[in-house]
Amino acid sequence: MIQLNDIKKMLLSQGYITDDTVAMSVFLSLQLNKPLLVEGPAGVGKTEIAKVMANALKTDLIRLQCYEGLDATHALYEWNYQRQLLHIKMTEHGSQSIDEKEKTIFSDSFLMKRPLLQAITHHKRPVLLIDEIDRSDEEFESFLLEVLSDWQITIPETGTIKATHIPQVILTGNRTRELSEALRRRCLYLYIDYPDFEKEWLIVKNKVPGIDAKLAEQITRFMQQLRGMKLEKTPGLSETLDWAMALASLHIAHLDKTIVEQTLGVVLKDWRDTKEVQMSLSELMDKTGIISKLGNA
Amino acid sequence: MIQHRESFSANIVRFCRFLRQKSFAVGVEEEAITLQALQFIDYIKPSIFRMALKATLCRSKTQAEEFDALFNDYWHQLSKAIDAKIKDFKKQKPASQQVPFKSLKTWLHGNRNDETEETATYSINEKLSKKDFSSIPDDEVDELMLLIRALAKRLAAKKNRRYEFSHKIKMPDLRRTLRKNLRRGGELLELAYRKPKRNRGKLVLLCDVSKSMELYTAFLIQFMYAFQQVYGRMETFTFGTSLKKITTLLKENNFREALQLLGAENNDWAGGTRIGESLDSFVNVYSKKMLDSKTIVIILSDGWDKGNLELLKKSMRFIQIRSKKIIWLNPLAGYNSFTPDVVGMQTAMPFIDVFAPVHNVESLRRLGKWL
Repeated sequence: MIQLNDIKKMLLSQGYITDDTVAMSVFLSLQLNKPLLVEGPAGVGKTEIAKVMANALKTDLIRLQCYEGLDATHALYEWNYQRQLLHIKMTEHGSQSIDEKEKTIFSDSFLMKRPLLQAITHHKRPVLLIDEIDRSDEEFESFLLEVLSDWQITIPETGTIKATHIPQVILTGNRTRELSEALRRRCLYLYIDYPDFEKEWLIVKNKVPGIDAKLAEQITRFMQQLRGMKLEKTPGLSETLDWAMALASLHIAHLDKTIVEQTLGVVLKDWRDTKEVQMSLSELMDKTGIISKLGNA
Repeated sequence: MIQHRESFSANIVRFCRFLRQKSFAVGVEEEAITLQALQFIDYIKPSIFRMALKATLCRSKTQAEEFDALFNDYWHQLSKAIDAKIKDFKKQKPASQQVPFKSLKTWLHGNRNDETEETATYSINEKLSKKDFSSIPDDEVDELMLLIRALAKRLAAKKNRRYEFSHKIKMPDLRRTLRKNLRRGGELLELAYRKPKRNRGKLVLLCDVSKSMELYTAFLIQFMYAFQQVYGRMETFTFGTSLKKITTLLKENNFREALQLLGAENNDWAGGTRIGESLDSFVNVYSKKMLDSKTIVIILSDGWDKGNLELLKKSMRFIQIRSKKIIWLNPLAGYNSFTPDVVGMQTAMPFIDVFAPVHNVESLRRLGKWL
């Protein structure tokens, strides 16, 4: 049986640096066979958890990306109409009866499996990631609730399909919309916030091989300051990593104002934010303690 | 040993009950899951024990934030009461010195308003949504704005992204077409079509921005703003002493800018009210284009009026006839003692289809029912 410490080790060996709360939630979600609902701001590694989990369990990750207007045909299954039509045309002069024809064109080979159906018919227990569930609309949420509790799907033309394995489910959300209480109650809940300085620094050093320790520290400090500002899109951990990666590959040893200005686009994705940060850059750098240190040196 | 275990699970059940009092949605099922979860962990370690309970009992961000303080509080009290048995928990008490006393703070702030504490139902952010807009402490405004934004989006997006079956030609509905024609050997003689379902109704929002409404304005504007981002078929006006159309202003700017522009542009902002004159100019200038039998007109105002009552009556009657429904939202109606005895309100009352309070998030949510 998997122990809590194993999960911690697995997460760590997959390069996912985290505090114990995350490990505990993942562990209990596995043990209790309950879906895990992960909420938090963009770019703090919510999706990553699912990837790591699939890796750790040595199984496949099936991902359902939610969006406004997502409906059952995109989440469950759809008949391949073009193929069905072609098949009917080709067998037009055959001797098959209509009933037989019907049976053929509503068979498995004409069925396009979408993520949810894929997940429950998978040969091995997969990890099912339902990403950004808060972006889908309410109808879909209640539909999902049904699937998550029954683990079976009924296709009118062929009948009911029961899950071969109940997938390990992870749902993520950004809190752009309140999720229903019913869905929440079905899941274990985990909130991931932006990492603190120590943790983020550690992650940068770990994920960007060969990065100068000093640079990593400066980047992290800068990002921590940046998140304190009121921005349209607060940069997450993934932005930190992108930036660190970019600066490391440019062989830059330390931050200064010009470099920050030139590479700000990696971190900020909204022109209003960029403008605002550019205006208060000196102040920001002062707070980070970068300018003063380097100025003296 | 067994007895120890029993009292242990009894304590957990009691802790769950304690959480329930703090408006956590913890039912029997959650209790069972928590007990089940403890089989898998080494719960002698306090920190692990706490994390396991947190993972199984929390359901939202607010709860996750409050949990540690509540946990420490409860087990500390317990260990004081029983002393001997659960010594281990004393060790982790020091960690709770900087406890985020959010719940306490909410309680303190909310204390003025009895309703805040009484109700324990199954909604997240319960406390915040029940709180009167005018008594929100500064540090909770952001969270509240998030809540309002989410709510408005949900209300606005309702229904209009689905497809419905249609006879007018829009897009072929292959699934239906195929099934329809299968009996004829698959020759496509009869085609089926579908078209996107649409929200047919239009919304016209008339928002009072006079002095007496000042406290509520920011929240209402946030609501309108988010609503308009999604809803599309909506026209927004503000009025104080005169009427102004702000639809484009809300559409083209981000929220903070829009609010600033509104403040700068609108000299009515926090001034007096002349509802009659404002509605009259709406009737004269815009009603032909904007009102039809599918339009819902929402008026946000407390009815404090210094203008022409005859004009108010006339324009209200006109609007009522030409529209589907008039919804009047009044922030003051949220108080128990409220009676609509302001003159302006009394004049308008006979023409109103729905009269509702709008003083907290909960009431905004209920608004969805009428739209």
